[in-house]
Amino acid sequence: MRYFLSRLGLFALTAWAAITLNFLLPRLMPGSPADAAIARLAQNGPVDPATRAAIEAQLGVPTGGLLAQYWDYLGNVLTLDFGVSYTFFPASVASLVGSALPFTLVLVGLVTVAAFVIGTLIGVLAAWRRGSALDALPTLSGSFLAAFPYFWTALLLLFFLGYTFQLFPTSGAYSPYTTPGLNGPFLADAVAHAVLPAVTILLTSLGGWILGMRNAMIGTLGDDYVTFAEANGLRSRTVALRYAARNAILPNLTGFGLALGGVVGGSLLVERVFAYPGVGYLLFNAVTNQDFPLMQALFLMITLSVLVANFVVDTLYGILDPRTRR
Amino acid sequence: MSLLEVQDLSVVYEPSDAAPTHAVRDVSLTLERGEFVGLVGESGSGKSTLGFALTRLSKPPARISSGRILFDGRDVAALEDEQLRAQRRGGFAMVLQSGMNALNPVRTVGNHFRDVFAAHGHVPRERRDARARELVEKVELSSTVLGRYPGELSGGMRQRVSIALALALEPQLMVFDEPTTALDVLVQHAVMRTIRELQASEGFTALLISHDLGVVLESTSRVMVMHQGVVVEDGASRDVLRDPQDDYTKMLLSHYADPRAEVVELPGLAARGGQLVTSASTAPSPGRRAHGSGSAPRVGRAASAAVVVDGVSKVYPPPRRGAATVTALDDVSMRLEPGQSMALVGASGSGKSTLAQLITGVVRPTSGTVSVGDVRVDALRGRGLRALRRDVQMVFQDPYAALNPLHTVEYTLTRPVVNYTGRSRREARARVLELLETVGLTPVEQFAAKLPHQLSGGQRQRVVIARALASDPQIIVADEPVSMLDVSLRAGVLALLEGLRAEHGVSMLYITHDLLSARVVTDQIMVLHDGRVVERGETSQVLRFPQDPYTIELLDAVPQPSRAGGAA
Repeated sequence: MRYFLSRLGLFALTAWAAITLNFLLPRLMPGSPADAAIARLAQNGPVDPATRAAIEAQLGVPTGGLLAQYWDYLGNVLTLDFGVSYTFFPASVASLVGSALPFTLVLVGLVTVAAFVIGTLIGVLAAWRRGSALDALPTLSGSFLAAFPYFWTALLLLFFLGYTFQLFPTSGAYSPYTTPGLNGPFLADAVAHAVLPAVTILLTSLGGWILGMRNAMIGTLGDDYVTFAEANGLRSRTVALRYAARNAILPNLTGFGLALGGVVGGSLLVERVFAYPGVGYLLFNAVTNQDFPLMQALFLMITLSVLVANFVVDTLYGILDPRTRR
Repeated sequence: MSLLEVQDLSVVYEPSDAAPTHAVRDVSLTLERGEFVGLVGESGSGKSTLGFALTRLSKPPARISSGRILFDGRDVAALEDEQLRAQRRGGFAMVLQSGMNALNPVRTVGNHFRDVFAAHGHVPRERRDARARELVEKVELSSTVLGRYPGELSGGMRQRVSIALALALEPQLMVFDEPTTALDVLVQHAVMRTIRELQASEGFTALLISHDLGVVLESTSRVMVMHQGVVVEDGASRDVLRDPQDDYTKMLLSHYADPRAEVVELPGLAARGGQLVTSASTAPSPGRRAHGSGSAPRVGRAASAAVVVDGVSKVYPPPRRGAATVTALDDVSMRLEPGQSMALVGASGSGKSTLAQLITGVVRPTSGTVSVGDVRVDALRGRGLRALRRDVQMVFQDPYAALNPLHTVEYTLTRPVVNYTGRSRREARARVLELLETVGLTPVEQFAAKLPHQLSGGQRQRVVIARALASDPQIIVADEPVSMLDVSLRAGVLALLEGLRAEHGVSMLYITHDLLSARVVTDQIMVLHDGRVVERGETSQVLRFPQDPYTIELLDAVPQPSRAGGAA
């Protein structure tokens, strides 16, 4: 219990540090968004003071000292008030992120977890049947697929399954004729749209999990406790799962944590290729349009999601490995 | 009918990328019910391979190439998987070498028992917990260990747990493969006693596989000696001790002696009786320091330096929150004169390695001072430490881990020669060859080009010693330099260390738990217990007439072949 509380404390501390950095970093940059906008206008001629005042009012020039600003900012973060997007004016940043986040979390998050679970299971099987076809096939094809850059796999899938055979929609998260919500037609449509990006991520990440688990498990299969379990006549299922695989999975959890942390921020390429309206796609738009409030909110999201993933994996470690609890 | 009958058994290792090795060759043997038999051999003799074959745990690339194993009249090799699994209950069980790692680190001890009971169903569900408690109490553990994880237990406790797990199978035959090798002397002694008592009370047949003839002779009624895959000796323990038939057995026996004897002699090592040691003044005077045999003159350096440790304590912070601090050393003082050799003995945790780390400047004392010559080791940093390491070198315990597997012997030895003695590359090479000559690795040219994995354990340890000599040191700290080596190789390495002291005037701090080797290579001895010096003096004096109960306990734990057959 102490272990979990200390992890939770560490999580809270790092989250606070991340939020604070997110506040400080833009303020360390010289100039302000208003200056940038005025400088752009100034290229076409002098800017009169009224325009300057209007721009500053519109963008909201900070008032008060740094500490007061920080205090306001903390309150805003807690109430999820990240201001208004420049690009999608007058939509609020919170509403934009709110509509993109579920798509990314469901698509990339679920697929990442699924890839880990499926890959690990295949890896266990491959190691247990080492040297057989059950080992060679997934190991070889897994490393083959993992060698492709995933946007390239995405383009191949898009070309063949999307355009040539027209089995799946080629872009977006749902069709315009459906109403987002918990209704049958929308969900079916959303799943159809998610297939290609999901398959892309699955195909390219599966190989890593298979190889990682297989190799770790081949290591643990040679460990004394596995031989001893066999000598004690335990059923082979017990030996494979509770002894060999149970220990082999531990080093792979770290990789899983990194992958989970990358869910929110790392989906940019896939979402871009499939024009999928998730966080990555939103971030792409924010960066190309210099949409500072949106970028700032997204960076915070990405940082926090890495921290959450770390916390989840630390907790998993604590549950799975008694040695970390001490 | 014998419980186990092995007929013309051969086991071959067939790795896909190397020539096959015949590990066990045409071995025939029988074990009668209730017998306690020992199987002795050095590393590579095939004894463990045989043990694994008997319990059908051999895995590729090992393969039984011919012969039969009849257990209770049934051919073990012919058993189907499920029959074999069933046979492991009430049939043959095995306790593994390094039982420290024989338990699943993520399952509690209790769960290990549950797994065994669930696999065989031979204990009714409601009796299982009680039975597990009974079993751990049989191996002299408290039943609270059932709720703990293996990582929370000491090595000895873990080995006891694996013995209890094997007992849970109610076996007729128990194969113990080096059950106490990785354990501390005193713990080893206690675990062996438990094994003997259990064998007597439970009445199972036991096969004790070990590299240590002393341990085996002390425990068993019959002993087999294996050498290069062949059983060369098989007879009652008492007879083997008194009248060994095979030359190999005779050689093994010659390496055992009682450290308490008046004169102790090991092959290749001169006798050290009471006459040799009078006091520290017998240490070779600086004038006697020979500079021959490749030892370069110590230009601009003090000819000799004594190690003086004065009132040193070392306290480590608590290992985890809430625990107490750990006092590794408590007010220890000592003096090692130039050219002297001193043994530092004690069980693990006694603080002997900490003292070595203090003298080599690896850790700093919490209080007290350490000096080598007129240099205060405890105050050194950076450059000063580097200079110290030229004078004080270390020989490590595990020759398998002390050499970088990617570098040739020549590279390994060239580094310290170039770094510490400022020789040019070409001079360094000549010095490296000299060093190899000194440690007896000839032909030197051939050994210089080798990689560590191409060398045997004894040869590797010689390279480690040559590396320690490369900087032309005045003091060598040898931390259990022979404990990982086969008995037949030990004497050679010990003789080498002894020769360095006698010919080169190098003083030596010899850290060990092995009192016999301490007796033959050191003049002075210091016994550490829980960080305190409990006894010190001339080695022969202290070992022959020990005063402290702890020293006596250590001496009693030394395996004595002469007690052969007295057990059971």
